[in-house]
Amino acid sequence: MTIALEVRNLRAGYADREILKGVSFAVAPDDFFAIIGPSGAGKSTLIRCVNRLVEPSSGEILLDGDDLVSISQRKLRAARRNIGMIFQEFNLIERLSVLDNVLTGRLGHTGTLRSLFRVFKRDDIARALSLLDRVGLSDHVHKRADRLSGGQRQRVGIARALMQNPRLLLVDEPTSSLDPKIAREVMALIREIARELRIPVLCNIHDVKLATDFCTHIIGLQDGVKKFEGKPADLDERAMHDIYALEVL
Amino acid sequence: MNAATMNARVDGIARDRSRTRNARTLTLLLGLAFVAATVYAIVIKDTDWTRLSIGGIATTLGRFAEFDVSMLPGLVDPTIDTALMATLATFLGLFLALPVAWLGARNITPLGRASYVFGRGLMTLSRSVHEIIWGLIFVSAVGLGVLAGVLAMAVRSIGFISKVIAEAIEDVQPGPLEAIRAVGGNKFQVLWYGIVPQVLPVVLGTVIFEWDINIRRSTIMGLVGAGGLGLVLFRQMARSNYGGVATVLLAVLALIILGEVISHYARKAII
Repeated sequence: MTIALEVRNLRAGYADREILKGVSFAVAPDDFFAIIGPSGAGKSTLIRCVNRLVEPSSGEILLDGDDLVSISQRKLRAARRNIGMIFQEFNLIERLSVLDNVLTGRLGHTGTLRSLFRVFKRDDIARALSLLDRVGLSDHVHKRADRLSGGQRQRVGIARALMQNPRLLLVDEPTSSLDPKIAREVMALIREIARELRIPVLCNIHDVKLATDFCTHIIGLQDGVKKFEGKPADLDERAMHDIYALEVL
Repeated sequence: MNAATMNARVDGIARDRSRTRNARTLTLLLGLAFVAATVYAIVIKDTDWTRLSIGGIATTLGRFAEFDVSMLPGLVDPTIDTALMATLATFLGLFLALPVAWLGARNITPLGRASYVFGRGLMTLSRSVHEIIWGLIFVSAVGLGVLAGVLAMAVRSIGFISKVIAEAIEDVQPGPLEAIRAVGGNKFQVLWYGIVPQVLPVVLGTVIFEWDINIRRSTIMGLVGAGGLGLVLFRQMARSNYGGVATVLLAVLALIILGEVISHYARKAII
């Protein structure tokens, strides 16, 4: 099996509290890989370690064989260009247009002077427009981001991540700010596009039903330790008990 | 609970309340005594009562009502000067305030505590010196005229503008910044795409507000020889030409009302 992303014995936390206590797993190129677990288990920290928005304290993170933990700040910026990220709160720039928000996905490839005057390349603009078509927002290109609904904003977030032409998609609780119907639409869209473009997805999600319905592989975290790994079909009651520690109910 | 303990509790509450009431009355009396003593010491003893008569006051005030209409054409230029002084000073103040805000915003200050304290210090310095004092300083530095007034108001504007901007920067939503970092953006791109759009409405609102204030300030900058309507006002005052003073004040009022109107619409346009 070829491996797109491998995480080995990852630890992270603060001086007084360790959040990830040695987590290891491997993501295949065609995986929609879910991380589930209770609040505070370290799901979000784990995702953020991969692009080092949170600094790991030890361990290895190999993207297509290159270690991301040991590289310099300069190389880290180059590595981040290849890793798209979709956020729970969308993290759009509210006062910019939908198109400009999608174009910010190219900032890693855009020089400082060009970004100062918001002069993006013609190719980038064409690509942004076709991605907005793909996520179903072709009628909203010039609207300000804060005029959109939650589902539409998350679609902008998806287009922004794809704008990077990423080799890996990190998805942090993509549906927590959405209603259940829109949540399923967004998950379906991410799955479809990831398949089309052959991008592996690492997704942390607290909704177990969504994880089993949409993902190909699941790990369960509890208190910074991996308690489960397997296919959605393997996630039985016993496994759920291990992850969520439902001792007193 | 029996009746005895209930009585005891009610007595306790009643006692507390009457104590509070007495304390309040005492505070009020002390306050009144302080006001009376102050009025006696600094107003009653200090005033030249022999000069004051009802008729005298009325006559003097009446002289202010004799507007000197012939002055009006001569007031056009100083009024424009005053408005331009205020505008220029506000732009210059904003320009100078941006780096100060950068230093004084805890989350982006470049050299940690040292630059933060320095930035905050500049803000306090700018605001704690009155514009007239800044005017005197700049008149002695660059000589009489409009330039001194502009510099004085610009320096006086730094404090407020930079303080408000710095606080807006400290309050930005971290999410968009994280998103720009995640796509591989550099520090400048995080600032330009993450922070600037979030603080822009605050910056513009503050600048309009400061412009409004600078219009007022510029009408008195002439008192220290820094040009504009204030200078004309001061000359009329020195000549005891009360009608002229009133006419100049009329021009000041017109300018301030115009400023209010413009800033009202400008604020609407940016939000």
